[in-house]
Amino acid sequence: MSGPLEGIRVADFSWFGTGPIAGRTLAAFGAEVVRVESEARVDGLRMTQPVPAGKEGYNVSGFFNNFNADKLSFLLNVRAPGGRAVALRLIERSDVFLTNFTPRAIAQWDLGYEALRAVNPRIIAAYAPMQGLSGPRRDFLGFGALLTPASGLSFLSGFPQRPPFGVGTNYPDYGINPGHMVVAIAAALRHRERTGEGQMIELAQIESVAATIGPALMDYAVNGRVQRRNGNRSTWMAPHGAFRCRDEPRRHPPGPNQEPERERWIVIAVGDDAEWQGLRRVAAGQPFTQDERFTTILGRRRDEDALEEGIGGWTVSEEAFPLVQRLQEAGVPSGVVHDAEDMLEHDEHLRERGYYVYLDHPETGRSAYDGPAVRLHGTAGELTRAAPLFGEHTWEVATRILGYSEDEVADLVASEVLG
Amino acid sequence: MANSPAGALDGIRVLDLTSEMGHYCGKLLADLGADVIKVELPGGDPARGMGPFFRDEVGRETSLSYWYFNANKRSVTCDIDQHDGQHLLRELAKTADVVLETFGPGHMEARGIGYEALRAAKPDLVYVSVTGFGLEGPHARWRATDIVGLAMSGVMTLAGDPADPPNQIYGNQGYIAASIAAAQGATLALFHKERGGQGQLVEVSMQEALAICQETAMQTWDFTKVARERRGDFIRMPGMGTYKTQDGYICAMVGVPGFGAPWSALRDWMAEEGKAEELTEPQYAEKLGTLDLRTLTAAIGNPEALTALRPIMDRAQEVIGRFFAGKSCAECYEEGQRRRLLIGIVASPKELVEDPQLIARDWFVTLQQRGEAVRYPGPPYRLSATPVAYRRPPPAVGEHNLEVWVQEVGIPPEDLPVYASEGAL
Repeated sequence: MSGPLEGIRVADFSWFGTGPIAGRTLAAFGAEVVRVESEARVDGLRMTQPVPAGKEGYNVSGFFNNFNADKLSFLLNVRAPGGRAVALRLIERSDVFLTNFTPRAIAQWDLGYEALRAVNPRIIAAYAPMQGLSGPRRDFLGFGALLTPASGLSFLSGFPQRPPFGVGTNYPDYGINPGHMVVAIAAALRHRERTGEGQMIELAQIESVAATIGPALMDYAVNGRVQRRNGNRSTWMAPHGAFRCRDEPRRHPPGPNQEPERERWIVIAVGDDAEWQGLRRVAAGQPFTQDERFTTILGRRRDEDALEEGIGGWTVSEEAFPLVQRLQEAGVPSGVVHDAEDMLEHDEHLRERGYYVYLDHPETGRSAYDGPAVRLHGTAGELTRAAPLFGEHTWEVATRILGYSEDEVADLVASEVLG
Repeated sequence: MANSPAGALDGIRVLDLTSEMGHYCGKLLADLGADVIKVELPGGDPARGMGPFFRDEVGRETSLSYWYFNANKRSVTCDIDQHDGQHLLRELAKTADVVLETFGPGHMEARGIGYEALRAAKPDLVYVSVTGFGLEGPHARWRATDIVGLAMSGVMTLAGDPADPPNQIYGNQGYIAASIAAAQGATLALFHKERGGQGQLVEVSMQEALAICQETAMQTWDFTKVARERRGDFIRMPGMGTYKTQDGYICAMVGVPGFGAPWSALRDWMAEEGKAEELTEPQYAEKLGTLDLRTLTAAIGNPEALTALRPIMDRAQEVIGRFFAGKSCAECYEEGQRRRLLIGIVASPKELVEDPQLIARDWFVTLQQRGEAVRYPGPPYRLSATPVAYRRPPPAVGEHNLEVWVQEVGIPPEDLPVYASEGAL
């Protein structure tokens, strides 16, 4: 089977999270993705943890590799004399241009949409600046770490007694923004297929994230109400939250600053009476199941502190996995708070579905990659090649795709445009 | 509103049979110009009962949440638990390019309206199933709400203070992630179909849609057999972390290479205002000058590496904290960014609605509803040739029954009351 994007070429001038992940999704679905890199501005993720023990260099970061599987790595210094011409030649022979560099960098490269369209009217030119290509803050800097706070997610997430310190990761970089970008690119490709018309996509990252919290923004715009963070509670379900279970021994030595025992938590979300009765059956004999205050959803919400205390007093001596199994059998939405060990090694469901993909890489060895976020049953959508080494395909791209002769490539390398 | 140029998905018809888990997917497709028909129960989608409400008036036509996720869609009613409703849905599906549903494995099949049944009558149909855990596997029939997805995907364990339970992320982000994945699948499958390919089944598992949001946790386990855990506001390098200001909080990530000015630019700003205290002394300049993203990410795996620097870092952090505490959020943000320092604001919904950048870019869109101007958040992206636009207000329950069932599907008008009296619509 071939992917839905068979025959589509992507000139991927991006770095860090949002751009590369969008490019990797396009690659998984069959596009040929040329990841443009440069020694003059190495993707920071190539230089970060985690790396396999004892390894170093540009090729061993799991952070980078996971986001760049199935791509070709092409070393091109756009700002070297003659570099822009090579970039335009690649764009001329591509269907999609993708970048999440700042408007300043795009201006320095002179790779704005008009310049691209001049060489390739059919190009889908996709830009993902932090704040957009226009407006008083267009040159503001940022990435996921600043975007989570700037888009409202930090203000609204977490427990009210804590400062709004965010969600533990640069969350919007990995799902929301690359995902939105792929939707826009696929829709633009569909439009081009029908009309022959290319276009520009502008994904201002702050707008992309803020679009996911629409109701909170409308609550202020319409009602003047500023919603506040409320921990793990729901606006209509109760109980709704994480409850601690019995700690477990670790199977591997603890990491730095980690306790010898492993904390175990589960989540429970009870929306209707049937689910509440299911929870009562599983927790039979526990005082909270007999408490009159908790008979109705309004009662459970009114005395939610007491309800949570009652449930927590029960779960803390239970084993997490068997308890969730029993809750699910009783029809109660619930789950174990998985960590990465659970995800990779113990979740039989993910394993049976083959979500994680193991790919061979010359420097990291066989290592794990996230599978695609969505499965297309009639066409392929899979990762087949590990991330490229830094500059691994410079020669191949220059000759096969760009059509340079061996002498021309040698000249471009000698003048430090390539490699 | 009605005069906007056609969207990128113009001419595509989508049947949207989703709960909260998928309604953002329907919205994304509708905003791109698809004709999205929301198929609701005769009493209306239960999501119409979700607050907040317009002017706090509780009712099935006043939910702002429903409005936001369903503007641009049309609404018909149809009870797919009844044979007549199933018949109507089969007829409607013959006119559709995409069916989008969140019921879970076997639900539609049991009613004779699953993928195989519908594609028998419409061979190039794109059928999108969105569920907590996918259609197959040991957990396929597990009950999943948003927080279950966040927990089981490894995302929640990374969020929160170690003294608290793991934190959910605000805004039903599991549903959002599943919806965005579904929209990717739907648009890719449509592109494939229109290039001469076939229709197909598209499958989303919320757990899988979220899994990549574990950041480096998965690879950290793969390489080092250490599972990342939640660390609260753990970044304690000078110029990095959440800082209190006079009127709120900011977040700073000063010193990430490739992103703006180094730590010394923050120190110079403080010195200009006479607030750098002893941080201008050489020992600070030297030691803090070497801290960067590499040190930071190493610290995630090995905090001891920073132990020797701890006293100097703590002292610097204290002085920086005092500096920001004496300023407003806006001052930190505007002046910090002017100096190319990686500083951001912790924005509340109010600050976003009043954000000068979003306003200058006309991001918010005003629709007339209930005799008033209602401001809606704008789209996640802008497409220059095929604008993403609000083309219709959110529908009332069954508002388009007549035009869809009679005019477009061809149900004889005299049959409508019969279906209605039996509760099928």
